Parts: sequence; C-alpha cells; structure tokens
Amino acid sequence: MNVENTIWRCARCDVPLIMKKTVFNYLGQSFTHDVPCCPSCGNVLITPELARGKMAQVEEQLEDK
Amino acid sequence: MKLEEALSYTEKCFNGEPATCSWACPFRLDIRDFLGKAENGKWNAAYKLYRNAVAFPVAVSLLCDAPCRSRCQRQALGDAPIAVLDIEAAVIKYAGTKKAQKYVIPPKEGRVAVIGAGLAGLSCALGLAQKRIDVTVYEREAQLGGALRMHPRFDEIAQDIQLQFSAAEAEFRLGEEIASLESLAGYSAVYIATGTDGEHFGCLESWDSALFSCSTPGVFLGGALTGSSPVEGIAQGIAAARNIEIYLQLGKISESYGASSGDGLENCGRSIGHEGAESIPAVIAASPDGYTSEEAAREAARCLKCDCDKCMSSCEMLRAFRKKPHKIATEVYTDQNASPPYSSHTITRETFSCNICGYCKSVCPEGVDIGALLRVSRAERMNAGSAPAALHDFWMREMDFNTGEAALCAPPPGAHECEYVFFPGCQLGASRPDHVRLAYGLINSNNNCGIYLGCCGAPAWWAGDDRRFFANLSAIRANWESLGRPIFVFACATCVGLFGAFAPDIAFISLYELLDALDSLAPVCAFGRVSVFDPCSARGGKAMRAAVRSIVARSGAEIAPLPELGRCCGYGGHMRVANPKLYDEIVSNRAAASGEPYIVYCANCREVFAAYGKECSHILDVALGLATTAGVPTISEKRANSLELREEFAFCNLGSRPPRSVPRWDGISLVMGAQLRERLDRELIAQDDIKEAIFMAQSSGAYFTDEASGARICSLVKPVLTYWALYKPLESGIYEILDAYCHRMRFEPEAR
Repeated sequence: MNVENTIWRCARCDVPLIMKKTVFNYLGQSFTHDVPCCPSCGNVLITPELARGKMAQVEEQLEDK
Repeated sequence: MKLEEALSYTEKCFNGEPATCSWACPFRLDIRDFLGKAENGKWNAAYKLYRNAVAFPVAVSLLCDAPCRSRCQRQALGDAPIAVLDIEAAVIKYAGTKKAQKYVIPPKEGRVAVIGAGLAGLSCALGLAQKRIDVTVYEREAQLGGALRMHPRFDEIAQDIQLQFSAAEAEFRLGEEIASLESLAGYSAVYIATGTDGEHFGCLESWDSALFSCSTPGVFLGGALTGSSPVEGIAQGIAAARNIEIYLQLGKISESYGASSGDGLENCGRSIGHEGAESIPAVIAASPDGYTSEEAAREAARCLKCDCDKCMSSCEMLRAFRKKPHKIATEVYTDQNASPPYSSHTITRETFSCNICGYCKSVCPEGVDIGALLRVSRAERMNAGSAPAALHDFWMREMDFNTGEAALCAPPPGAHECEYVFFPGCQLGASRPDHVRLAYGLINSNNNCGIYLGCCGAPAWWAGDDRRFFANLSAIRANWESLGRPIFVFACATCVGLFGAFAPDIAFISLYELLDALDSLAPVCAFGRVSVFDPCSARGGKAMRAAVRSIVARSGAEIAPLPELGRCCGYGGHMRVANPKLYDEIVSNRAAASGEPYIVYCANCREVFAAYGKECSHILDVALGLATTAGVPTISEKRANSLELREEFAFCNLGSRPPRSVPRWDGISLVMGAQLRERLDRELIAQDDIKEAIFMAQSSGAYFTDEASGARICSLVKPVLTYWALYKPLESGIYEILDAYCHRMRFEPEAR
C-alpha cells in the first residue's frame, strides 16, 4: 500500500493527521522537517518512504561528519 | 590517544616511501618517478627531477657507479636490473630545454665561504647560491673542477657546471689559497672540501659524518677530504648546503633528510614480492652511443614501480576508501577530537566498515595491522561519546540477550566442578542448537564436561566498547573459577582469538580437535569435493585448522584449497550496518573464491554463505553425520533456540528448568510473506520488536489508522533505534505485517 498518499488518522484522538514542522535530532545535531502529526496529541508518523529515503540519507551524512 | 600512538600502528608501513633503489642512491633520487617520466617520453620533466636531485647531471651520469642497480627488484624475477645510468644519459641527451634551477626568493642573511672548487665544494656552493645565500668559493688552482679536471670528458662536465650556476649568484676566487680559518672570520659558515689529503685546518678529527659539521661551530667538511667518492662528495655537498642553511637560520645544526648514503640502506631489503609480475629482458642499445629515445623509454618501462600496496590491493574495504595507511593513522587521531559542526570526522565510515579480520596484517611485509588501528578508533570514538551507536546496536542487544536471558553456566550433572567446559559461543546454539546438543553429548561422554552458554564479548570488542568487553570477560572468569578452572572447549574461532589475547591463563582447546581425537567419529560429507573456508579469526589457529581438515578427510571428501587463507566472510567487525554495499561485495567475493562447496566451522560464516546461496556445510554436520541444512533461522527463531537450549541444559545439568521471563507480547502471532521476512532479517529487524511495538500500540491506542484499508501504523522507541510496523489486525492476537522499518533519528514536535 502507498503509505505516503494515505490519509492517516490518529486512533486515539480520531482526527486526521496534518503536516507539521517537527524537530529531528541525531548525533548532537538537530533540524526541522514537515511530517504528518496528530493535531491533537502531537504524535508523529514517519512513513517508510521517509525512513528509508531522505532520513536514511541524512543519518548517513551526519554519521560521516 | 596521542598522535604518536596512532602513528605507531603504521610506522612500519613503507607505502609512498622511496623504493629500494632510491634508498641505495646517494641522492635519494626518486627513481620510480624518474623512470615513469622517461617511460612516457617526458624528457624535460625527467631532466628537471634528475637535475634537482643531483645538482650536476652530466658529472653524476658519468661518474655514478649506480648502487641502485644492485637493489633493483627486477632481479628477483631473474631479470637484469634497470639500466638507470643509460637512461640518465638519454634523459640528458633528449631533454629539449636544459635550464638551471632557479628559486625566486629574497636574499638570505649570512655569508658562507667554500674552500675548494671540486664537485663537492661546488655542489654545496650551488645549493647555497640557489637559496640566495651569499657564497664565495676559494680555489687555490686557477680552474674549477678539482680532481675531475683529469676526466676525459671534463669539457662536458665543465659546461654543465657553468649551466647550473647560470641562474645562481656565487663569487669565485680562483688562485686564492686559504692559509687559516681566521682569514675567513667575516663568514658565518665555512665548508671545507679541499679534496684527497687536502688541508682541513685541524677540523677533520672532530668531523661528524651525519651532519658534516665539526667541533668548531659553523665549520663543515665534505668530499674526498673525508674519504668519499666524487659522487658521494656531490651528495654530501648538497646535504651540507641544507645543513648550513639551517645553521644560518637557527644557529644550530640538525640533520637534513637524505644526509648520507649510508642512511636507510636497511630499507633496501623491503621487497614486495611482485607475484604475477612478468619477466622482461633488458633493452640493449643498438648503437654504441647509447639508447635512442625509444629504447630508453622501453627500458624505463621495465621498472616495476616498487611501492607496497599489498593491504590496499588485498582488502576490499581499503580499496573502497582509497586512503593510505599513514593517512588512516593521522585521521584516526584527528577523528577522536572532531566536534561537529565545528570540525568534521573524516574517517567514520571507514572505521566502522572494517571487518577487523587482520588480513591486511597477514599480507603486509611489515605486519602493519590497519584493522587493529580502526578498532582502537572505534574504542576512542566510544570513549569520546561520538560513536554512532546505531551501527552496532543490533549486536550489542544480542550480546545483552546472550549474556543475560540466554546465558547459563553449569557443571556436568551431579558435579560442582569439571575438567572441561563447552563454550559453543553465542551463535552456534542460536543457529544450530542440534550442533550444541550433539557435540556436548559426545564430549561429555568422554570427558567430565560442563556447559557454558554465553558470549565471548566479540560484539562489544568490535563496537569499541572495551568497558563492556572486559566486564563480560571478568564475569566469565568468575564462572570459570567457580567450575574449578576447567579447560574451555571452543566451537568458534573468534572466541579462541579473544580468549587467547585477553585471558591467556585460561586453557582452551577447539571442539574440532577434541572431536578429531575420537576414533569413534564417523564423519559424513554431503559433497565429494569441497573447499575448507577458514574463518578469519582462525588464521593463527593451526591446530584447529588441521583438525577440521582431518575430519573432512576422514569423511572421504577431497579438499580443494582456497587461494587465500583466513579471509573474512563479511561478518567480522559487524560492519554490515555501516556499509551494506561493501558487505555484499565482500560476501560475493568470498563465495566466488572457489567453485566447490564450502566446509565452514564458524556459525556466522555458514549463515552468511547460506543467506547468499553459496553451497556450504558446517564441519559439525560432517563430523556428526548430519544432513546439511541450507536455511538460516530468523533473528527471533535464533533467540528462541538459545532460550530453549538454556532450559534444556539447565534441566539436564542442574536438575531444574529456570523460570523464563515471558514478555507480554509473546502471545502475539505475526503473519507475513517469505520475502518480507527475509527483508526484515536482512535489515536486522527482529520480529520480537515488531510484536512489542504492536502490543504496546494496541494496548495504548497510540497508532495511526487508515479506515479505507484497515491498515495501522505504530512505532516503538528503543534506546538507539525507533521501529515502525505497518500492519492489519486479522483475528484476536494475530496481525498481518505489511511492512516494518526503523530509523536512527529521534524526533519531537516543534514547540508552539
């Protein structure tokens, strides 16, 4: 299934997720990126596309720095 | 770690250093580079290189007795050494533009007097004049050249002297004899090169052959006066000019590089083997006038360009990163102090991509161990808190499990102490519990043998977590003491290696030696012809290697030797997460090293090859006459195997089943396709972690849902990694897994 194009809902708050700026930290460095979040409880969803793509790439870059 | 300590790992490496021929050359001419230029017809460039090294090319090409020839490594192939002198003559002949060396620099302080205008004095004077130092040459005769004036080709030499001085200012006082050094009181330094039996003003007795100085400050000597040959005299003059320059600047004398021909001769023996190099006969000049340009280039092309790159050409990792050993050592030092974003680490990926298998050390003529250096680098990064924990997290968690929940140390049934204790290592029981059961049965029926299920600490060692490694070793030692100091029986060569290095007082023997000693053993091999793939850690374990081969031979199988001994299958150093692409390359190369099926005796080698699809059998399959299994259990199946083994042994040896802590999510069942299962194992995502994630999400309601498809996504934050599962609930407690993945970053919603 295409996780990226699905409209996910937070099961607990029963609201659709919205794109929201989120702070990412790795190896002492931090930066922000827009990812789907629950507008109510703030839970963040990381899609497989993001985890295996951009995120893995940045992780590797930071490890190399 | 200090810089010196890092560099000490590679100090014996001679990559990039002068070749053996250059060490023999009084001028340390870079003959490799020189011949390379000649080979490509770059006559002007070759001339420049030669002129810069020898000061007077014509004289040296006529006078040198070519000590380089006796050090030429071509001779090891049965060939004549390279005709360097003839090529030098050709370079002088074919160089289109022959100019003197000129430095565009401001004049320097200090005046120097050179006594004697032979080649020794002149080479010193030229070196000083080129550096814009005020130099005066005193010669009692009316002509330059000293003893060489008698040479049949002195005219050519004299012309060359003139040419080399054409771009440097020096004053020549011919026909002026120096009676005493007092008359040169206006000079800051004096170089005495008055030739054989020449005047030395009482300075020769205190002459320092390395520095060319004497007990009188500022007075230097060289040339035939000191007993050297004309060519050595020129080399001395060049080196003395450098020393005098330093003396003028600092008022002190220190040795400059390449000071005398005697230095470094010990390096002339550093031959690098040249396996596979072709024998090529010397090029003979058709004309008595010497080589044509084509002949000279062809002769130069015979040069083997001797430079050791054994480690780099043998190891996929070193080849991939293309960093030379000395550079690696320097970067290991700088990396430990790097502090991003202000300064960057430069060698992290390489540090964590190494198998630490020691193959580089085994091929290095000087035994330089880059793997040991990179392991120290990991330890330094761990100490500095800058090691990327994610690269070793999977194996550190495995070690926690194997030294915790799955560990057991038990004497034989009914005993408190034992003569032997079987330590199968963390992977054998997980991968093939039947091997552990059967092997233990065999050893214990012949010996008084206990069982120790645990881990030698290799994951911590490879992660650079020395504290964890030594703590584990202490725990093992305490258990060993409590069993009455039995002899360890190891099935894993890595355990052997680490115990041998860090617990040398603990006696051990390999399982394979014990088994091979059993007359009752009836080995059966599934293959008629095999190659024994020794684990990298068994490189030093001769007895273990021999026992394995003996068991194979007893089965009747024929052994086809592998071309290289003790290559790592890819598993070593736990580099797979740090560099999956390189890991695949290594595994594929190892699998291709022989067309025959492999007999392995490391559980990891077996799993690596089995997962790759290479036909292989564990030696215990052969020794115990078991059918070869091609498959590899999943991570969770392995954990279950280890736990079951522990319970069995506890029951048999201690008489009671220990309580097993069953996690709350144990009851969950996962359904997934074979492809996804393989993928998760390749990505080191354990089904236990997926179960935990789903259990926690389902209990708390903290998951995301897609109403249309019924799919859900949840996450589990572990200390190092965050795991995600995409799933669909089927019926109570059963979940279909659509995907699972993990990442290393942490996240938090931005403050409002």
